[in-house]
Amino acid sequence: MAPLRSWFPIPPASHFSLANIPFGIISTTANPKPRLGVPIGDHVLDLALFTANNGFARQSTIQPHQHVFSELTLNSFAALGRPVHSVVRKYIQDVFLENTSYPEILKDNAALQKEALVPLKEVTNHLPLEIGDYTDFFVGRNHAYNCGILFRGPENPIAPNYDHLPVGYHGRASSVVVSGTPIRRPFGQIEAEKNNPIQSPCLRLDFEMEMGAFVCKANKMGEPILIDEAEDAIFGLVMMNDWSARDIQFWESTPLGPFNSKNFGTSVSPWVVLIDALEPFAAKGLPNAQQTLPYMQQKNEKNQYDIKLKVDLTSQSGQTATVCKVSATELLFSFPQMVAHHTIGGCPMRVGDLLGSGTISGNEPGSCGCFLESTQGGKVGITLSGGEKRMFLEDGDTVTFSGVCGTEDGGLVGFGECSGTILPALKL
Amino acid sequence: MALKSWLRVPSGSPFSIANLPFGVISTKEQPTGRVAIAIGDFALDLFAFTAAGGFSKSKELQPYSSVFAQPALNGLAAFNIQYQTRQYIQSVLAEDTPHPELLKDNEELQKLVFTHLSQVQCHLPFHIGDYTDFYAGLNHAFNVGVLFRGASNALQPNYTHLPVGYHGRASTVVVSGTPIRRPRGQILTDPTAEPKLPIFSPCKKLDIELELACFVSKPNEMGSPIDIKDAEEHVFGYVLMNDWSARDIQAWEYVPLGPFNSKNFGTTISPWVVLPEALEPFRTSGLQRSDSGQLLPYLTEPRKDNAYDIKLEVELRPSGTDKGKVISRSNSKYLLYSFPQMLTHHTVTGCAMNTGDLLGSGTISGTEADSVGSLLEMTKNGKEPFTIDGVQRAFLEDGDEVILRGTAGQGEDCVGFGDCAGVILPALEN
Repeated sequence: MAPLRSWFPIPPASHFSLANIPFGIISTTANPKPRLGVPIGDHVLDLALFTANNGFARQSTIQPHQHVFSELTLNSFAALGRPVHSVVRKYIQDVFLENTSYPEILKDNAALQKEALVPLKEVTNHLPLEIGDYTDFFVGRNHAYNCGILFRGPENPIAPNYDHLPVGYHGRASSVVVSGTPIRRPFGQIEAEKNNPIQSPCLRLDFEMEMGAFVCKANKMGEPILIDEAEDAIFGLVMMNDWSARDIQFWESTPLGPFNSKNFGTSVSPWVVLIDALEPFAAKGLPNAQQTLPYMQQKNEKNQYDIKLKVDLTSQSGQTATVCKVSATELLFSFPQMVAHHTIGGCPMRVGDLLGSGTISGNEPGSCGCFLESTQGGKVGITLSGGEKRMFLEDGDTVTFSGVCGTEDGGLVGFGECSGTILPALKL
Repeated sequence: MALKSWLRVPSGSPFSIANLPFGVISTKEQPTGRVAIAIGDFALDLFAFTAAGGFSKSKELQPYSSVFAQPALNGLAAFNIQYQTRQYIQSVLAEDTPHPELLKDNEELQKLVFTHLSQVQCHLPFHIGDYTDFYAGLNHAFNVGVLFRGASNALQPNYTHLPVGYHGRASTVVVSGTPIRRPRGQILTDPTAEPKLPIFSPCKKLDIELELACFVSKPNEMGSPIDIKDAEEHVFGYVLMNDWSARDIQAWEYVPLGPFNSKNFGTTISPWVVLPEALEPFRTSGLQRSDSGQLLPYLTEPRKDNAYDIKLEVELRPSGTDKGKVISRSNSKYLLYSFPQMLTHHTVTGCAMNTGDLLGSGTISGTEADSVGSLLEMTKNGKEPFTIDGVQRAFLEDGDEVILRGTAGQGEDCVGFGDCAGVILPALEN
């Protein structure tokens, strides 16, 4: 793939090359009102300022809708639909190209560059979309298998329904926060001895490495989004940390599923990477031994994206460890399949709804997307760089996800960071 | 109490002056939603009332009166003025009102602000950020457990220690009267056959769930649990709820993460939100835990009478017939946990509640066969169909209508909810 060269200084190893162009919500000390922004290299293009200064003068499709760039969330932009997102992304790419078709817009406009291009370090990120509903799926089959051994027993780790439908549960929308938000260790009921619970801070706090997808199409209640339309229902992807309280989960989850063990916090990375930017990295996911029912059959076999994901842990004292490296192809179903399944009974989606893939784990050592798996249920700990040991998360630990596709030659497409630091539990 | 209104309210009306629930209405003449209170056979349009200076005698409420123009109760609830508003309107409607000039003696204004309930369109009363469904109907949980696991394993060990719940789908909560389309999905034609291969089909075991639900008024910050002694302050009021369920879709999908598509095709609530103050006279104790083991301190409530004595009924009108029949009579006291306990448990991890969030109690069943809150229990998973006027039913058929009702008290002190109704539409055909 030919690299896209810019007149603007973009470090070659930047995850925000011109091949990317993701969207987020930013504010600055100079202007604390949230608005849309696009990271380019080590800077962010303030789209509200860009628009106010006629940045979209040479882009006719977006002109009647320019107000969306000064809104507080990406919802109105997302609602315009994928063909419009595509056109806007290509235009912004072009504006930054060395041989841009529109030099007067920014390349030759030093004053606008100074105003509208803010260093990434000086920007505050906000939750990128207003979320009506959040659903978490469970389609990382290796994760399901490993957890199944622990929760269901080694004879029967995968339930009979698993390969036939993307298993999912409704999550708590109010728990979703942007990367950087501290996460307080939850309090709850845990078993002190069998069937005898106590009220206690969670003693088995875990992370879950997932991908999240935001929806950009609404359907009427009673009318499904059919699989052929479901691809256009996905706005873009983020990384997601589905923080989990394993001891609370084990005690509460039969028969209605995880609840308090999940609803204390869910972190997402701030920049929504459009599907257009991920298309060059399309790949096959996990093979399915079962025939998928027609309502979920996708024509395109390459329905996952080869995103290299990494989880790093940093302790309060500064000791580090990389606790997971895995590809986002380790999934059994795709987001369009999840959308088709989720709406098949008539469930209404709204623009801004969030879907989680479920924990992504590989088969190799060092590729488990959560501590529950990598410590084999809390049996085998990991060692950090300075000798500290970990089984589950301690207070003061910071967990950071990063994810990237492609090569420097072609231009890296990355997701920024999804991070959170654990605060100690409150005393009840 | 026997407070009387100067407005004629039929005896036994669920909307007596002892009630005064809040809702959101529109009319043909004025199609924008706004806040209203139900009284007798009428809706009192609070927006029209405000515009005409109706709140002029309340220094407290005057500054907030713009909330009555909103098409949802969230604004009202965020200012926490629902209690004072109800008190004020009660004093305006009382026979011996201290302010007769405001409405009692003002026929012109009465024409503007009162619309007969039959002429009013009710809307979803709140914008709902999150909806959670609990499972606190002990008899229901037991009955269902017996059907699927046998009597000795009917209830899980966690059941009497915490109010079991799951997050629901906020987007599927609709107001009474909204038609409910039979969902399609994956089902096993024979659950006992091996290997288990699902087919894609319309749901063949469409069911109801009779529940009580509460709306949250005061929010809490993420990371800051609600203490049990403060939990009642976070309750705006109550509605009836029908948690329509697709039992065959549920049986196949729910292991291990709980019910999902079997619930998210529709959830109906009654339109008028009854305030806790109106239900105060009907406090009673709920179901008691019989086993040993104390409830953990964070869930232990200061008062024992943490349930309400509300008579609930389920009416089924089979497709093609004109008249429905009451098939079940239950009571909202058949709950093991109260709403304050559900709120406290839900936030003990630091989960953030927002104004307008909805919490369902779970199916409320009595112990007798004619007092259960679901067809699953009533027909023992379809094995014992019943007959209404010669028509046989196990689960719901297309065209069936289900109406849930609830009333506390009687005569002139009746406090009720209005209908929670829905008609089943046939499944889509590709």
